[in-house]
Amino acid sequence: MITFRRITILATLLILLSPAALMAGDPQAGQEKATVCQACHGLDGKSILPEYPNLAGQHESYIVKALKDYRSGLRQNAIMASFVANLTDQDIEDLAAWYSSQDGLEDISIK
Amino acid sequence: MRKIICVTFLICLALPGLTLAAGDAVEGKIKAYTCTGCHGIPGYNNVYPTYKVPKIGGQNYEYLVIALKAYRDGQRHHPTMELQAQSLSDQDIEDVAAYFAALGSQGDAE
Repeated sequence: MITFRRITILATLLILLSPAALMAGDPQAGQEKATVCQACHGLDGKSILPEYPNLAGQHESYIVKALKDYRSGLRQNAIMASFVANLTDQDIEDLAAWYSSQDGLEDISIK
Repeated sequence: MRKIICVTFLICLALPGLTLAAGDAVEGKIKAYTCTGCHGIPGYNNVYPTYKVPKIGGQNYEYLVIALKAYRDGQRHHPTMELQAQSLSDQDIEDVAAYFAALGSQGDAE
């Protein structure tokens, strides 16, 4: 019985802690770091020019993936390459947390 | 004066032509059926690596066209997206882009 309770407590702790560990981005820090991004993507993630993607409301994990792909060269874009070159993983997670927390993009579904 | 009127008239004639180059959202909705298999399921994950499939409702038309053509032409890489895009003509790409751009909070859906 004690073991069972212990397992329950441990499992609860793990469940509570895991989202924090997986989503390490800090939106406030991201907002501060986004000042260079806003020239094209807008501070709230609504792009200034239609050639550039809106980021507002985009999935956090997708923004992280996109930025890391630009940094590694898997995704190629001359403008983005120069901006992401010096970003740390933490910077990327913070930026993703900021833009994903804004209202904007939506999932599509057949209506 | 007549010259100015003529030039203005010509510009007015040309403008709708430029906007007509954009896709047809009604056609796009039909052509976008396959896309909803991934992009139409809220929170759907790509796997290996794991990340959420991007939201494209309300995305900019021009950006969507650029992205789809980059997948089709092999400049942007994703196995599923490259395969899907290879079957699309320029017109198809413009149509689905128009449909997605009109969805979401940035425009009226239908």
